[in-house]
Amino acid sequence: MTSGRQRRRVVPDYMAAARLSVPEHISVERTTLVSIAADADAGGLDPPASHLLALLRDEPLSVYECAAHLGLPYCVVRLLVAGLVGNGTLLTRDPPPSDLPDIEILELVLSGLRAL
Amino acid sequence: MASARSDRRISADHIPVKLVIAGPFGVGKTTIVGALSEIEPLNTEEVLTQAGTLVDDLTGVNEKTTTTTAIDFGRLTLPGVVLYLFGAPGQTRFQVLWDELVRGALGVLVLADTRRIDDSFAVLDLVENAGIRYAVAVNHFPDSPQYPPEALRQALDLDPRTPLLVCDARDPASARASLIALVEHIRELVLS
Ligand SMILES: Nc1nc2c(ncn2[C@@H]2O[C@H](COP(=O)(O)OP(=O)(O)OP(=O)(O)O)[C@@H](O)[C@H]2O)c(=O)[nH]1
Ligand SMILES: [Mg+2]
Repeated sequence: MTSGRQRRRVVPDYMAAARLSVPEHISVERTTLVSIAADADAGGLDPPASHLLALLRDEPLSVYECAAHLGLPYCVVRLLVAGLVGNGTLLTRDPPPSDLPDIEILELVLSGLRAL
Repeated sequence: MASARSDRRISADHIPVKLVIAGPFGVGKTTIVGALSEIEPLNTEEVLTQAGTLVDDLTGVNEKTTTTTAIDFGRLTLPGVVLYLFGAPGQTRFQVLWDELVRGALGVLVLADTRRIDDSFAVLDLVENAGIRYAVAVNHFPDSPQYPPEALRQALDLDPRTPLLVCDARDPASARASLIALVEHIRELVLS
């Protein structure tokens, strides 16, 4: 996000609590699908990272849902997810670029909606 | 809803697909997201600064300079893809939030109300400026005036190819039919 002025980067409390660093480039957004990496070392994580992992143990969730379930703002959870991707705990899948949608994805959406 | 949960499990291989449902105040956005969603829809508040910028960092944000707006969020898991539905306000003062929500979205379903056609202009401006593919669904209320489709098209200044549908936002089948029309339209545009 452009803020018009240069903002000094401070490590937010929740990142420090989770002993994570804020990555420089974050592709994570609201509908990024988040899952636990197969080789994730889930031990030794502090809250809120351990809460996030407990949430994802059941099934992958979008960042937006993670935020809602954790009761934390989206912008906080976005950074948390990015931090946990950075240390190999989580995997993400972004929505495909929409400028030229993949015809196979469109067909999947159509057949899925028609079958409901 | 809940009964279908077992065959609607999301795997890490599911492709997330974002769709936005936009429209003016009171047009039925929350209702249609609720009709489509397999989960209890999430209604969240997005924090915006008064200057209209989205807050991406809570450090140093003065409460007095922020305002919030409600966003509806729903989910629909299909084989291989999971649809994420955002119900978003269509006022131009939410431009920044709008830009973020439509980024990466497959398309937008614009809801219109024939009792207040003019209210949809701002939404149509937003979608057209964003260059995103869209369809228009007229949400029908008991006291809605009935106009012939051609008159509506003209009033909304729609491209002849843009789908114009009538839907009942409370009815899941009708809501799904609107989404299908939107995605069929996107497919035609991609194939042409
Ligand atoms: N008759 C009828 N009523 C509807 C329909 N869709 C929504 N409503 C009603 O219209 C009212 C407004 O609908 P909402 O879904 O809250 O509208 P909204 O766009 O989310 O409104 P805001 O979030 O305030 O902008 C509610 O009382 C709904 O029950 C419809 O298709 N037909
Ligand atoms: Mg609403």
